[in-house]
Amino acid sequence: MKNLSPHTHLYRLGALLAAFFVVFLVVKSWATPASWIDDVDNWYRLDSLEEMKLKPLVFGGNESCKECHGKTYGQFTGNTGNEHKGLSCESCHGPVTRHAKGGKKIADAIRESKSTWQCQNCHLEMINKPKDFPQFKRQAKIKEHAEFLAGLFPEGTVCLKCHAAHDPTPDKCVKKEDPECSSVAKAKK
Amino acid sequence: MELPGNSITNYIFPNNYEIWWSILIVIYPYITGLIAGAFIVSTLSHLFRIKEFDNIANFSLVTAFCFGCFAGVPLLFHLGQPQRALEIFITPHWTSPMSIFGYVYFTYMILLAVEIWLIYRPFFIRRANETEGSGLVGYVWYAMTLGVTTYHPDSLRADKKISAILTGLGIPWAFALHGYVGFIFGSVKAIAMWGTPLQPVVFILSAIVSGMAMLLLMYTFIAWRTKMPFEYPMIRKFMLILWGVFLIDISLEILELAFHKYELDRQWENLEPLMYGPLWETLIVGQFLILSLIPFLVLGFISLFHPKDKMTLFLANLACLMIVLQVLLMRYNVVIGGQLISKSERGFVEFHWDFFSREGVFMAAAIFIAPFVLYYVISRVIPIFDSPAYEPEDDEATEPHTPAP
Amino acid sequence: MNKHPMTDGQEEKTGTRREFLRNVLAGTIPATVLMVYGPGVLAHREPSELPRGEGIPKAEHYWIYVININNCIGCGNCVRACKAENEVPDKTFRTWVERYIISGEGVHVESPRGALEGFREINAGVRQRAVKSYTVPKMCNHCHHPPCVKVCPVGATFKSPEGFVLVDWEYCIGCAFCVQACPYGARFINPKEHKADKCTWCYHRVKAGKLPACVTVCPNKARLFGDRWDAEAEVTKVFLEDNWLVLKPHLTTDPTCYYVGLGREVI
Repeated sequence: MKNLSPHTHLYRLGALLAAFFVVFLVVKSWATPASWIDDVDNWYRLDSLEEMKLKPLVFGGNESCKECHGKTYGQFTGNTGNEHKGLSCESCHGPVTRHAKGGKKIADAIRESKSTWQCQNCHLEMINKPKDFPQFKRQAKIKEHAEFLAGLFPEGTVCLKCHAAHDPTPDKCVKKEDPECSSVAKAKK
Repeated sequence: MELPGNSITNYIFPNNYEIWWSILIVIYPYITGLIAGAFIVSTLSHLFRIKEFDNIANFSLVTAFCFGCFAGVPLLFHLGQPQRALEIFITPHWTSPMSIFGYVYFTYMILLAVEIWLIYRPFFIRRANETEGSGLVGYVWYAMTLGVTTYHPDSLRADKKISAILTGLGIPWAFALHGYVGFIFGSVKAIAMWGTPLQPVVFILSAIVSGMAMLLLMYTFIAWRTKMPFEYPMIRKFMLILWGVFLIDISLEILELAFHKYELDRQWENLEPLMYGPLWETLIVGQFLILSLIPFLVLGFISLFHPKDKMTLFLANLACLMIVLQVLLMRYNVVIGGQLISKSERGFVEFHWDFFSREGVFMAAAIFIAPFVLYYVISRVIPIFDSPAYEPEDDEATEPHTPAP
Repeated sequence: MNKHPMTDGQEEKTGTRREFLRNVLAGTIPATVLMVYGPGVLAHREPSELPRGEGIPKAEHYWIYVININNCIGCGNCVRACKAENEVPDKTFRTWVERYIISGEGVHVESPRGALEGFREINAGVRQRAVKSYTVPKMCNHCHHPPCVKVCPVGATFKSPEGFVLVDWEYCIGCAFCVQACPYGARFINPKEHKADKCTWCYHRVKAGKLPACVTVCPNKARLFGDRWDAEAEVTKVFLEDNWLVLKPHLTTDPTCYYVGLGREVI
């Protein structure tokens, strides 16, 4: 029988816990990410900022359309009276990365040619829209507009029959020379 | 249903479509509460020296330990990235109450384990000697003694001292272990039902209450199954203390709501339609009217009118069963009820009961039953209600004890 | 007062001097404290003034976001662009638009699929009863005192030196505490990634010299993003007048998303 003191078990327990503690500290310092920012309120892995910058962009902004569509870009931004000037091309046509890659087209850009949804989304009158924003009612005062919207022209984007999307100002109206168009006649009076 | 914010339709923010902290997060504070409660019962004997509780002190500690072994499981199952759970130990963000979980839980389990070890050491030594450290089981016993297979009589004093220190430390530690959960909820100013300084206190008190009630239910069941005699003086004192703590607990729960109602503060604007709407059945009727009022009256009856033994036992179990449910329901009302309030402050989110998923009811039930299974296993291996103290004459117990000449 | 015969007279002299010093200090210390921490300074805490540890990169910009309710038409371009730019899963939103219709009976707020396809027309009955109506874009407010950053248990979400509140997806454990703590409902658990997610002000775009996707596609200048340290920026000029507000100011989160023309019904 070994000569054990009355406290041997406590010493062994203490040693066991101390060893565990040391191992824990070693593992903790090894596992802590290298770029860790160690401040009470700012507590994060600094490398994550660099990683987040690498996320690929989806929208390119208007400058990314200019390269290939210079003429339309010029129309869109040129005329000072153009109410649509400064709008984002991609807000109607979809993000550039879904349309072109490495300077080559990979898919058609979106063109709302089958319905008036794109135009209505902004311009259909709704009570939540600011009063000074150009909007039209469904029960339009101009009879011609009402006929269009009632489906007399089922194919194509009816708005585009008179309003060029890239420059909708009246004197850019696509039917401005059309003698049949009564609103043109009215305007000329 | 009345809606807050002068709203005429139930509007919730688009991202409020789901209740993120579900049944598992209801179970988690419940389990840590049981740990804290069971530990407090053991301190009634070890620290406060109330003699009646001496025989159930070990039982309380082992129960606390069993619940403790499973306290982290609901959290692990709830995490979106459970494999990253160890980050709580590596980079705990000290401004977050949740960050202290890692260290507090771990050290508390060590504290419990050491305390149980010091009490049962004589038993481990006896077992190690009986099996002579051979075979797998024998080796386990040997390891449990840390290689010290003789019981030095003087070590009792040192053991008792360390035990006393651990018990003293254990109280604030148990309060931290469960109080921090209350702090998690209390610190969220964005949720009307959660953000209040009273939350940690209410959580701790209801933890003590639930731990005590659960212990009594377990004790009754075990004593009945093992044909142990019921200790009626202990049960009576137990119920008296339980009554007192329960009274303070429900007072504070009601006080919180009372202040909001009286001051008609911003939180009340969301709390009132919540209480009288989605939470009517579970909070007003369930938690307060049935499961708080009735146990309060029953416990009061036991403490003031001293009914006969059998009646006391029955009423005590009735009250404790209701209290155990009350605390569970309180956790549900706080955790899920709070999340029903949309951050829009103009509507309520619907809670959908989930049964079979990773965070579902069956998983929660399985996690909750596991500590009881563990307790059963442990109770087959070490004596819980018998004393584990070292008796050299134990092996000669069958012979009549002849006095020394 | 104890008057010891030996120190009696002397005590009076030193007593008054001591008293005088005490009074001066009693005034100076609180005054200094007030100067440093007074309400004026607290109102706009710039990133460079926040406490710093070592190794934190110096900020070159102080980014802020301005939302002009008077200009918002509720078209939903921003919601669609954000979804496309950031691959935001269904049912969750990094940004969304709410429509408020206020009548004598109360407030009706709606956000059909976050205004992903704009808003629908309302019928004549509602139209008649409506007193006021407007649309409010919402998103993460990138607060100065973000409650979400405070409660993250592991340090997976943080406020970058230039003002972005971001989530480190390599580190987030998905506990959803930040989702609970955000008063604005801006956060959610990404159902595909199982990590916390929210508006990042398109950090990757801004660092590449571009604007966030939502700002790029907004047709009516309802959304502005810029550098507060740039005196010529549109966002800076907003502060020349005192008609900007923030959401839930009583929670003292001090957001950096400023609303112009915000109705009092907006929460």
